[in-house]
Amino acid sequence: MGSLFRSEEMALCQLFLQSESAYTCVSELGELGLVQFRDLNPDVNAFQRKFVNEVRRCDEMERKLRYLEREIRKDGIPVLDTGENPEAPMPREMIDLEVKFEKLENELKEVNSNAEALKRNYLELTELKHILKKTQVFFDEAMYPPNLPYDQDVYFDDEERVNLLTDSSLHQLKHIGFVAGVILRERIPAFERMLWRACRGNVFLRQAEMDDPLEDPASGEQVYKSVFIIFFQGDHLKMRVKKICEGFRATMYPCPEAPADRREMAMGVKTRLDDLNTVLSQTQDHRHRVLVSAARNIRAWMMKVWKIKSIYHTLNMFNLDVIQNGLIAECWIPVANLEDVQLALRRGTEKSGSLPAILNRLSTHEAPPTFHRTNKFTKAFQTLIDSYGVATYREINPAPYTIITFPFLFAVMFGDVGHGIIMALFGGWMVWREKPLAAKKTDNEIWNIFFGGRYIILLMGLFSMYTGLIYNDIFSKSMNLFGSSWHGVYDESTIEHNKELILDPGNREQYSQTPYPFGLDPMWQLSTNKINFYNSYKMKISIIFGIIHMMFGVILSVWNHRFFDRSMNIYCEFIPQVLFLTCLFVYMVFLVFHKWVWYGALGTVSQSSSCAPSILITFINMVLVKGYQDHEGEDCSPYMFAGQFGIQRFLLIVALLCVPWMLCVKPFLLHRNNKRRQLVTQANGGEGMVEEGGEAAAAAAAAAVTEELHDMGEVMIHQGIHTIEYVLGSVSHTASYLRLWALSLAHAQLSEVLWSMVLQIGLTSGGEGGSGGIVMYLIFAFWAFLTVAILVLMEGLSAFLHTLRLHWVEFQSKFYGGTGYPFVPFAFETILDQAENAVVEQ
Amino acid sequence: MLDSIFNIDNGYLEGLVRGFKNGILKQTDYLNLVQCETLDDLKLHLQSTDYGNFLANEASPLQVSVIDDKLRDKLVTEFQHMRNHAVEPLGTFLDYITYGYMIDNIVLLITGALHQRPISELMPKCHPLGTFEQIEAINVASTSSELYNAVLVDTPLADFFGECVSEQDLDELNIEIIRNTLYKAYLESFYSYCKSLGGITAEVMCEILAFEADRRAFIITLNSFGTELTNEDRKKLYPQCGKLYPDGLAALARADDAENVKQVAEFYTEYRALFEGAGNNPGEKTLEDKFFEHEVKLNINAFLHQFHFGVFYAYLKLKEQECRNIVWIAECIAQKHRAKIDNYIPIL
Repeated sequence: MGSLFRSEEMALCQLFLQSESAYTCVSELGELGLVQFRDLNPDVNAFQRKFVNEVRRCDEMERKLRYLEREIRKDGIPVLDTGENPEAPMPREMIDLEVKFEKLENELKEVNSNAEALKRNYLELTELKHILKKTQVFFDEAMYPPNLPYDQDVYFDDEERVNLLTDSSLHQLKHIGFVAGVILRERIPAFERMLWRACRGNVFLRQAEMDDPLEDPASGEQVYKSVFIIFFQGDHLKMRVKKICEGFRATMYPCPEAPADRREMAMGVKTRLDDLNTVLSQTQDHRHRVLVSAARNIRAWMMKVWKIKSIYHTLNMFNLDVIQNGLIAECWIPVANLEDVQLALRRGTEKSGSLPAILNRLSTHEAPPTFHRTNKFTKAFQTLIDSYGVATYREINPAPYTIITFPFLFAVMFGDVGHGIIMALFGGWMVWREKPLAAKKTDNEIWNIFFGGRYIILLMGLFSMYTGLIYNDIFSKSMNLFGSSWHGVYDESTIEHNKELILDPGNREQYSQTPYPFGLDPMWQLSTNKINFYNSYKMKISIIFGIIHMMFGVILSVWNHRFFDRSMNIYCEFIPQVLFLTCLFVYMVFLVFHKWVWYGALGTVSQSSSCAPSILITFINMVLVKGYQDHEGEDCSPYMFAGQFGIQRFLLIVALLCVPWMLCVKPFLLHRNNKRRQLVTQANGGEGMVEEGGEAAAAAAAAAVTEELHDMGEVMIHQGIHTIEYVLGSVSHTASYLRLWALSLAHAQLSEVLWSMVLQIGLTSGGEGGSGGIVMYLIFAFWAFLTVAILVLMEGLSAFLHTLRLHWVEFQSKFYGGTGYPFVPFAFETILDQAENAVVEQ
Repeated sequence: MLDSIFNIDNGYLEGLVRGFKNGILKQTDYLNLVQCETLDDLKLHLQSTDYGNFLANEASPLQVSVIDDKLRDKLVTEFQHMRNHAVEPLGTFLDYITYGYMIDNIVLLITGALHQRPISELMPKCHPLGTFEQIEAINVASTSSELYNAVLVDTPLADFFGECVSEQDLDELNIEIIRNTLYKAYLESFYSYCKSLGGITAEVMCEILAFEADRRAFIITLNSFGTELTNEDRKKLYPQCGKLYPDGLAALARADDAENVKQVAEFYTEYRALFEGAGNNPGEKTLEDKFFEHEVKLNINAFLHQFHFGVFYAYLKLKEQECRNIVWIAECIAQKHRAKIDNYIPIL
């Protein structure tokens, strides 16, 4: 049997590792990725474990690498992802790595601090340059008042101050002190308000915005600043103004009063700026070089560190073997891979050159983890099953059947060739571009869900195309591929004068008596009783599929019972279950087929379609044991075949008998077995008493008896729940499959509405001189958008969810336990993936 | 407020804050934390809690102050995220919470300025939730009226400042009086705001704020013994929104020593329990710790109601208590003074 049929056989093994070779062995096992280690010290705190220092060193290295990566990203240097997968380095290489990272970090830090100092210097000089330039303008205005009246300026609306400045000459300015500086632009309003309040309006502020943003040396961000100059009188005010400036983190610069001095200073600043520029670019070059060389290796380094860290995490789960100076590990290994694990261990010991590691199989009563070996195709389907519940160890796995039934049941609800093609193309594209798409790691959850289910989407699309052909639906229209079997025999005037005309299936001229070769006849598309016909057809189809699906589930449970050696379950559960389902629901399916075959347009009166009894009524009457009077002389019989009433009654009695069978037989048998066992133990215990005269055995026997009683109650309740669930379930689950019909109907109707209400408007709008084309162009876009958004995406999602439910509830409840826990092997692959995703998310 | 429409505006944030609250360290975490030998052990254990990698980017010899800063940063980030997403009236409510920090910051800066310490040195000590634009220019003021007119008039604290405007120079006692007057006005205003919100918010928050007010009244009284603060002045500092108002406060105003205070507390069941068993001897919990424990209890209770703003306040206070606990444990570890390591206030 393939491994998907049941989960793999697992073995609990004990590993004795020499302390020298433990690291290399675990490293090899990590590359192999087929071993799940058990934590042998669950009570020990993370920081009290043996290799906590190594883990901490790894954390430290990781921190340094993150710092490097941040710097690399800041400079926009591309990080090379060669896809290579370096092996975990030996423990002694760890020191080299540490030294290397330490050196790099220090170098970078030094470069950064140098650059920051230089940048700060540069910033100061630039600010000073701006101040000199802007204040020059202020002073010029003050000395040579331009023609414009000043009171237009916002800062001069105060009468008093206008006088102060317009009258000002250089002579007067000398009595007035001033402070010039630079401040963040967004702080200006508060700054101004504060100045005015604190100095009671006795200062005068002018400010001008600097056009170019400046780089903040600490954070590296671009900030906008403004130049300001404050005039005031007296030392007291000067103190205050300075305090406020400091409070608002404004930088103040000395600004000479004489114009000549200012000009000189500006020249000096300019030359110093030029010098600084060259130095700064050299530092930047150096930094760039360091980072580029680091960027080349950083991926590999990261991987190495992650690997070392995960190895030590694993080693922390091991027990210390004091006597032999080794480590003891316990792990689950798939039996099929024991050889591989042995080989990996041998490689590990060879690398370190110490004594070989020893692998012992332990016997255990513990439930092993569930491990299904999947490939990229089956993985998605297995995930669907696992999200309901991981299979109990070695029970039947529904996943292989789901591969077919899932897309099929989906397609029954989603049957439309057009929508199926869209879906299949999308799935196909994802499958085709699998590798490049998978390499692009994103944390976009929606995309990851679609991409993870690409094979499901592809299959769903293909199956929808198939059912679409059966329903003969393409964007709600039918295709006449083979020529309809129906023919109109009416002449033109009849057609023109009658709104509706009937075609008679019994008439060979109107119906050729050979059905349309594949799918539904396109003629139905035009008929007014299309919905009636479709409903009857799809409802019956749903019930048939549902019962086949459920029956299949019940039959699968045999394999479970046989595998787990529970033959009692076959006689006490499986057989009555099958009988119950057969007598009631398979019989109903039989009625459906019988009605399809037996009744028709041709043939005798009793076979005519007008005579056909309703299956629903027949079935209800069967359960109510209601008979019909068979009227003599009437051609139409309420029965479909002879002896139907007797057969129905017999089937009903069998079905009803199944209920107590399911309910009582198993608890009764268990009870009897227990009694027998008790008698045996009591007999033994009696002998023991005679021989040893001890009371312990008697006490134990008494305890066992009470336990049995307690157990029996539980078994009874459990069996009761089980039976009620099954009996009620078969009715409600059968009805539940009608969702296949309901969704299919809704889908067909919605797409028809979309066609007739949207696209038809475009198709019928004629218009002069091609204006209809433009209308059509717009309307088509609208229609196409709605088709994809509503019919494919939303309807697809809803059909998907209903299919999921049909599998989880209706199908799996018949046989699936789902109480296992998954096998999570220690594998570098998954660990690196997770770590990288964490990096991407940051 | 109608409960049914509470979630339209505040559902996301309430969910968020309840999620955050679940990340608060449990008793088992504390048991593990006190076993740590070094601060790196502490860091390693915190990594396994909701704190995650908040210390991952710090170089290895950890300082307690770094831990403290990072803890606070994390809390502030969370709070500011909530503030940014808040819709009125929750926005005002959250702003109200920050005013308390503003008062503390102002007092800190003025005291620092009195001792001739540069503002740039003091700023990192200020709580980031209580900063405002003009805060750094605070040392312009030398009297309280200047403080009001120049600095605080634009801030939300202006409303609380009305009573303390005076031409007196700022000195130690004055500052304390300003702090307590501000706090009194703040608490009373917050209290009446919560009352005006009504519903469960009022129910929960008034309980917490009433306790806060009473705690302040008790502590002011206890601290005032042996200072030059007169009983009359002291009475003006009591917030009048607690359960002690009016009789208890009047009695407190008359109290002359700690024994008198205890007698006042005797009349109130919840406070009597706090004063009993409190003491400074080893093995006894200090009154301060008792108050903290009671506060934690009230804050935990806030989470038992739904559809109210009290959870935001309670979360902040619980988290602050947790930060104090972690820092306490970290200090004990760093100073190798393990005898008192168990003196943290357990939460939950």
